[in-house]
Amino acid sequence: MSTESMAVGDHSTTHDDDHEHHPTAKTYWLTFLALVILTALEVAWSYLGLSGVALVLPLLIMMVIKFAIVAGVFMHLYTDLNILNGHWFTVAFGIAIGLAVSVYVVVFAAFQFNI
Amino acid sequence: MAEAIIDQAATPVADEHHEGHYTSLGLSNMKLAMWLFLGSEVLLFGALISTYLLSKTRFLTELVAGNPEVVAGISNDENAELVNEMITKGSVEPLFDIPFTSLSSFILLMSSLTMVLAHKSVTEGNYKNLRIWLSTTMLLGATFMAGQVYEFTTFYREGLTYDGSLLGTAFYTLTGFHGAHVTGGLIMLGSLIYLSFKGRMQKDRAETVELVGLYWHFVDIVWVLIFTIVYLIH
Amino acid sequence: MAIVEQEPLALPAGEPSRSARPLGVFSRPRNTTGLKNWLTSVDHKKIGIMYGVASLFFLLWGGVPALLIRLQLARPNQGLLSGDAYNQIFTMHGTVMVFLVVMPMGAAFANYLLPLQIGARDVAFPRINAFSFWVFLAGGIMLNTSWFLGGGPDGGWFNYAPNNGIAYSPGIGIDFWNVALMIAGFGSLTGAVNLITTVLNMRAPGMTWMRLPVFTWMTLVTQFLLLFAIPVLTVAQLLLLFDRRFDGNFFNVAQGADPLLWQHLFWIFGHPEVYLMILPAFGIVSEVIPAFARKPIFGYPFMVFSGIAIGFMGWGVWAHHMFVSGIGPLSVTAFAVATMFIAVPTGVKVLNWMATLWGGKLILNTAMLFSIGLVTQFTLGGLSGVSHAIAPADTQQTDTYYIVAHFHYVLFGGALFGFYSGLYFWWPKAFGYKLNEKIGKWNFWTMVLGFNLTFGPMHILGLQGMPRRMQTYDTSQGFNTWNMWATIGSFILAFATLSILYNALVSYLGWRRAGRPNPGPDPWDARSLEWSIQSPTPEHNFDVTPTVTSLDDWWYHKYQEDENGVLRRVASSKELAQPGNGEGVHLPAPSYWPIIVAFSLPIIGYGLIFSLWLCIPGVFLLLAAMYGWSLEPADDLDQDHHSEPEPELAQTHG
Repeated sequence: MSTESMAVGDHSTTHDDDHEHHPTAKTYWLTFLALVILTALEVAWSYLGLSGVALVLPLLIMMVIKFAIVAGVFMHLYTDLNILNGHWFTVAFGIAIGLAVSVYVVVFAAFQFNI
Repeated sequence: MAEAIIDQAATPVADEHHEGHYTSLGLSNMKLAMWLFLGSEVLLFGALISTYLLSKTRFLTELVAGNPEVVAGISNDENAELVNEMITKGSVEPLFDIPFTSLSSFILLMSSLTMVLAHKSVTEGNYKNLRIWLSTTMLLGATFMAGQVYEFTTFYREGLTYDGSLLGTAFYTLTGFHGAHVTGGLIMLGSLIYLSFKGRMQKDRAETVELVGLYWHFVDIVWVLIFTIVYLIH
Repeated sequence: MAIVEQEPLALPAGEPSRSARPLGVFSRPRNTTGLKNWLTSVDHKKIGIMYGVASLFFLLWGGVPALLIRLQLARPNQGLLSGDAYNQIFTMHGTVMVFLVVMPMGAAFANYLLPLQIGARDVAFPRINAFSFWVFLAGGIMLNTSWFLGGGPDGGWFNYAPNNGIAYSPGIGIDFWNVALMIAGFGSLTGAVNLITTVLNMRAPGMTWMRLPVFTWMTLVTQFLLLFAIPVLTVAQLLLLFDRRFDGNFFNVAQGADPLLWQHLFWIFGHPEVYLMILPAFGIVSEVIPAFARKPIFGYPFMVFSGIAIGFMGWGVWAHHMFVSGIGPLSVTAFAVATMFIAVPTGVKVLNWMATLWGGKLILNTAMLFSIGLVTQFTLGGLSGVSHAIAPADTQQTDTYYIVAHFHYVLFGGALFGFYSGLYFWWPKAFGYKLNEKIGKWNFWTMVLGFNLTFGPMHILGLQGMPRRMQTYDTSQGFNTWNMWATIGSFILAFATLSILYNALVSYLGWRRAGRPNPGPDPWDARSLEWSIQSPTPEHNFDVTPTVTSLDDWWYHKYQEDENGVLRRVASSKELAQPGNGEGVHLPAPSYWPIIVAFSLPIIGYGLIFSLWLCIPGVFLLLAAMYGWSLEPADDLDQDHHSEPEPELAQTHG
């Protein structure tokens, strides 16, 4: 990798105007609606009497979607990522968090399946 | 101290004197620091959630296998029926009251909505709405905490004590830790409301509201995980 | 809880009013010298020096138990220490050295150098920086008070469950270990947030990622490891705390718990911890070797990326500490392979240092010698380390002196040699005089001798089967000779370790007798930005924020290529260096709050151990101090700093 391709320190801006790109109140309400619907779906799914993968997988998927919605809209991650404009740091930070969490999955798997 | 408060009424609405500091990434230091702190919190709750999952699994295995100490740990004078149901189902589900917890989850999600609306109000310079939304958020958060206290009391009566069983230790530690985070958030919200009444939480400090919001939403997200992983996948 | 700090919340929004005392704020400390100034300072340089002093103190403090261990083991069947005392002593030696020496020593260099190397006036959050130091010190002091309040912890620095439970360790030593390290961990965490924000956001114009000095890079990786590893340890300690103080069952086998969970959590923290202890030293060496080989660092991008790779891979090797714990064959295989892989980026670094030395005009002064000492001795430690990747061999070596030899080679022969190199290298920058070279060389060679004499024989002892953490051994086991040598070596090593203090004193007196000559801004003709300002560093660091145009920017101001492409000196450091005129620079004001918040935590800690009632005043003090903190303006408003021209604000938030 050349030095030039990493020379990305020129995203130097001031941050005082970043509030202008935040979503509207309507977006917030719709987001909330989506979260409520997903929660209702989750609860309904847990009452279907399923077990194993059929129970767990859809629930986990819905959980991850809820997670992404809160982080993206309420925590302004989508707009803030725009400011960082695909900066390598955000990618590395994301990978680091993912890796760190997967460490726990490995521990759990080691116990659960005695591998 | 009092004289400092008096002259706040005359304070004009902040003009645009507030210069944005130069930062290399273009994101303010405070916000970056908050995100880093939350990143570290992910690991904290990750460890607690995995500990819960592991402990629950070990608890159920021993319970179903009929380990007398484990059975005795969860039993009290009145809950023989509940314990039997847990053993036959091989699940902790009989303990939970899903409709009740769904309601508290709804309340916490709602508080996230009111939190962003509070931030929106402060960026628009609408300080009355700021205080209304902050108070609503605080109220919803307090309601959630009240629900948790109620739930803990119920579980305790049903035989799930902190020191009796592995499940109890793990469950109360995980949800209690989340509760402690909510309480911390409530203190921050209360301080924001106070400062807003004193005229110290104005447009140019919208970022402070946003930072408290980030923390609050994070606590909400953790509950999203706990609700699914602990309550629904029993 | 996050401390929300920003603009002065106690003031009405908008223009700060100078007429009124801000809400709930004391008058601020004004001292510029003396004890009060040190206690309230938010200057990253002073905090860095305090970190250094504290960790050197703990180095001596933690060395005493080490010598006691060696005395006890000098001959077979000795009764100098009882089994119980021996347990406490080796536990405290390990804990103090890891948490109170190597980690804060890295923090000392990071604090002092990071803002200087990226061209900043201070760190992003100066008050949080002060807090990080004080809370580390509070935790460290609290840990050591256990000696006087009922005995030290006795479970080893890793404190395996269920041995750490109340049933097997009924004293309060382990509670001290638990709570005090949790408190010190707060300091590491806030320090990590602070330093990462500083590097990410406060680089001087033109200081792009691939122009950052290697030390800054390694520190950044270190701080990320801290950010993610500390909470894992905190959770493990919380579980233990709940088990011990509130009858929890996390590690209670009778209730079906699996105590192996502790080992997993501890080593998920513990292995990144190992790398975060060595990476700052790697960074130091990567600054010292190019300076005295008179060459740029070989393969700069490889140095950077291997550091990042170590940071990532450090998370995937924790279970190689647990090969004998009964984890399954797939885990053993996977972690053995990962352990072999992580040797690759480390090897890249060693090769790059050697390639930097190759063909250089070597100046073998003390700093350089210590750096070369790191490269050789760390390589030895790395080789014995990678031998643990062979799981069957590791099964033999686990819990023997072979392991003790290995980690002392990487942590003492590696990290501490690196830190000593850094001390000799940056001493004139921090204090304005050079350390004596002659004593320095004595320091180095006695240290090499003592170190290898102490820990070299332990390889053999370990392979012969001498177990760790055993209070004594029998003549029939055949460990006598090498143990005696190791004990002799340990006293030489103690003497060598101390001699840097003697050197500091002698050099200081000599410098004072000579009329305090200034060593100049750039005594080593070095490469990074901290050498472009006066020595000792002016309080405001840079008169003007530098603009950076290349890697080793400072060097290329001094040297430029002539028409034949040969580097020639074009200007002296004295001509180029900033004169140290801080007029018009406004710095963040000192504050009482960081130290108050920090020392409210041990009150809560003692409460958790002795009586929960004590927690109540502790929590109130904490909350009150946090309010005081967030209401206090970062700038001292009573101090008129509106001199002409318009002051240039340091880019800090408080």
